[in-house]
Amino acid sequence: MAQSTDGPGKDYGGEAPKAPPHFPQAEDEPVDLSDIRPEDSIVLVLFWALAGVVFLQFFSRYVMNDSIGWTEEIARYLLVLVTFVGAALAVRKNTHIAVEFFYRYLPGAGGRVCSTLVDLLRIGFFFAAAWITAKLALKTNQKMTSLEMGKDVIYWIVFAAFVAMTFYALRLAWRHWRQGYSVLTRPAERQLID
Amino acid sequence: MLLALLFVMVFGLLIFGVPVAIALALSSLAFILLAGQVPDLVVMHRMINGVNSFPLLAVPFFILAGNLMNTAGITNRIFDFAKACVGWMRGGLGHVNIGASVVFAGMSGAAVADAGGLGTIEIKAMRDAGYDPDFSVGVTAASSTIGPIIPPSLPMVIYGVVASSSIGQLFAAGFIPGLMMAASLMIMVAWYARARNYPRDARFSLAVLWGSFQRAFLSLLTPIIIVGGILGGIFTPTEAAIAASAYALFLGVAVYRTLTLRRLLRVSFDTIETTAVVMFIVAAASIFAWILTSNRVTEQFAALILTITENPVLILLMINVILLVVGCFMETIAAITILVPVLLPIVVKLGIDPVHFGVIMVLNLMIGLLTPPVGMVIYVLSRVSGVPFERCVTATAPFLIPLVAVLLLVTFIPQLSMFLPTLIYR
Repeated sequence: MAQSTDGPGKDYGGEAPKAPPHFPQAEDEPVDLSDIRPEDSIVLVLFWALAGVVFLQFFSRYVMNDSIGWTEEIARYLLVLVTFVGAALAVRKNTHIAVEFFYRYLPGAGGRVCSTLVDLLRIGFFFAAAWITAKLALKTNQKMTSLEMGKDVIYWIVFAAFVAMTFYALRLAWRHWRQGYSVLTRPAERQLID
Repeated sequence: MLLALLFVMVFGLLIFGVPVAIALALSSLAFILLAGQVPDLVVMHRMINGVNSFPLLAVPFFILAGNLMNTAGITNRIFDFAKACVGWMRGGLGHVNIGASVVFAGMSGAAVADAGGLGTIEIKAMRDAGYDPDFSVGVTAASSTIGPIIPPSLPMVIYGVVASSSIGQLFAAGFIPGLMMAASLMIMVAWYARARNYPRDARFSLAVLWGSFQRAFLSLLTPIIIVGGILGGIFTPTEAAIAASAYALFLGVAVYRTLTLRRLLRVSFDTIETTAVVMFIVAAASIFAWILTSNRVTEQFAALILTITENPVLILLMINVILLVVGCFMETIAAITILVPVLLPIVVKLGIDPVHFGVIMVLNLMIGLLTPPVGMVIYVLSRVSGVPFERCVTATAPFLIPLVAVLLLVTFIPQLSMFLPTLIYR
């Protein structure tokens, strides 16, 4: 196969473009960031803080031969926070993994009823989860081992994430109700996660 | 009785399209409230602390590494290199597809990352070369399942955490079975190529091979750093994950200059989203698994199975069937977190090494990724190739035969999995 079939060759940085390699994806496409909202900056900061802390631990163990003590605990907590705050992002984008297969065999009205029930259950769960997490946070007076901070701080942030999830779930249900279908009944509308 | 209700509720909710994590957590919450033995606080405490685990830190960074490599052009270079290596064979791009997946498997731990990133390149290249879309989708889907068998591997990290066995050993154990999968798929492709008289896609040329090797050299170091580092005992899996991410970032920003700030943002958000979705399932499944263990369901199930037969061969066959069926209906991560506490006691009683069982389990669940209704890889490939879901399913079906053959070999010849871990760690 001739290499030219995959589009124009391009100079790639410092490399000598002897035989232009073909790069069919990524490089030439514009980057779409339209699904990102201002509130996502929170989880972005948490995520890169996590990466930084884990890298710091790695670096201190290999280069300084002495791993910094607090990194492990803080990394674990940051992972918890990225999980739940990130889960709120996924609720907003409605990308939590679900089985939509059986809706292929559910006709219009039946599918509509079921998908509406799913929306209601989702709201109910997030509301209950927020409620219980708040109770958990109030009861917790453990301290973190490495920082002068109560463990309840973690629970309060998870609580906030669940409140956000409840809000997004409500909005999602409202949208589904207004447009008359959800991604469950029309999988073509879905953007899958990678 | 209540426990039966728990199971009915989980599966009922799953079938009706409630997201996997919510189905698990909501059912568990209902069970705890109805049973009334422990306060409802336990649900959230278990869920939150289910992801408060050091080994799980490998998860976001293997996802990040895979995404970075797809965006930074590392994947493309590896594809070109694979093409120069095996593209001259009959049905060349089929072999290239498998070869590239093997190399990619050494850098990424998720089949879906392989299908979504490398798969896009592979399917486009095969389409341009005139292969029929069914064959392209089938090979791409089947070869993407090698990803989580050859280290690194997300499912193996999760398995190691739940089964409390060594993730390093699990990684080592997957190496030979992964290569066997590649070999079996290449035999299948060779057979197809002969039967359908596929073309040779390129002439073998040492100059092209050398050129593509030079371009791919720094990229090819990634799997060597990761696999070599883990198997050589230099890195823990989490360290390998962060080292791979840092290296991919370095290549993308400083060497290839393909990573702009916008691309980096895109990669970050994709990684955050995938991480959150996976870890949210882990969190929800950990409360579900806790209920199963604390109510001794797992022990009872083990006893039940052992009353049917005590023949290890039959039990392993039965477990394989259970895993294949569950793999069809359940998402990989959820299946591992739920089934490990149930199946591991049986397996251990039979004298099977948990590390060996980890390979069996992940291999089963990977095959489940290729089957409806929850075939994640098929969904992704259907999206990137534009071939309808149903047709992707039938296109992939023939490739299940070599994979199941490897599965049986791996199940009944423990040495295939245990040779490397024994060599390295004991």
